[in-house]
Amino acid sequence: MAVGRTNLGKAWREWLDESAPRLLAYARARCNNAQEAEDLLQDALIKLWGYQEERGYRPPDLPLAFSVMRYLGLDHGRRKGRREKRDQKIIQFQRGDDHWLDPALEETEEAELLRKEVDDLPEKLREVLTLKIWGGLTFAEIGKILKISHNTAASRYRYALEQLQKKLRHLQNIGNG
Amino acid sequence: MDNALKNLESKLEAMTPRGLSDEGRESCHQLIDRLVGESELSTRGSSSRTVNWIGTAAAAAIALSIGISGGWYFGKNKASSPAVVGDQIVETGDVAAFEHLDHEAWVLTEESPNVYVTKSGEIREISREVEVTKDVVQHRESGVVVTVETTDHHVVDAPKSDF
Repeated sequence: MAVGRTNLGKAWREWLDESAPRLLAYARARCNNAQEAEDLLQDALIKLWGYQEERGYRPPDLPLAFSVMRYLGLDHGRRKGRREKRDQKIIQFQRGDDHWLDPALEETEEAELLRKEVDDLPEKLREVLTLKIWGGLTFAEIGKILKISHNTAASRYRYALEQLQKKLRHLQNIGNG
Repeated sequence: MDNALKNLESKLEAMTPRGLSDEGRESCHQLIDRLVGESELSTRGSSSRTVNWIGTAAAAAIALSIGISGGWYFGKNKASSPAVVGDQIVETGDVAAFEHLDHEAWVLTEESPNVYVTKSGEIREISREVEVTKDVVQHRESGVVVTVETTDHHVVDAPKSDF
């Protein structure tokens, strides 16, 4: 459905408010901190606006938005790699509260462990997990974005869950003594 | 997928990703407003330019047809009378917006000539000819090329001397 020009701003703001947490979750996998992830999202907005010109500037579908975020994220990663090599001897810090997943109201030790273990997953697994769980995409959509088959996407997802479960069990066993 | 993995999946789904910071949200909204504003400006500009050149091209094509069929051509004469197209008056001065690129003219014979004898005994030949002229012009501002083709039908009636 075409969006009237006068309502374009409103439509995009609503789309952003709804999609930003999902897109940011994905962006955080490629950025050092929340600020960089938000910058990446703004870059993606500009790209998506251009792509949507021929569709009457209608807000984009999520799979397209994730594709653009991935493309920009890869580029950002390359630049970040060069910058980090240059800067790593200068300073290293990480804010304790700078996490891309909101702590649940009933925060548990398990949830905290899960967040940490998701962060520590290999990139290929974390990417599929993020797109499936927090991006809400199907394996077919994930396959298209990552340029892999939907079976490979499903396998990576399952393997990611298995890895998480294994680590959780291990950590819980250590905790129980 | 076994129950343990489904349980883990549910736990992960319950962990909601963080949204934009207030500052980030404000920046994104400002960016959207800027993009909307820029697209409105560019759309207005391009649509008015399109309408302008289409209108000018149509006007010039009509003006050229009138001019050519009236016996003048580029640079030699200026037609002064306006043409009326629908309810729009088109000034033939619009020709100035175009550059003349090419001119061609040729004659087509529509059918075999008919030979006849007059009452005075003269043998004559009558035929129909179509004179076609084709002018190619380019709209100076947009670069769009317009071809103006005119046809004039003549009846040629001449004495027949060779058989």
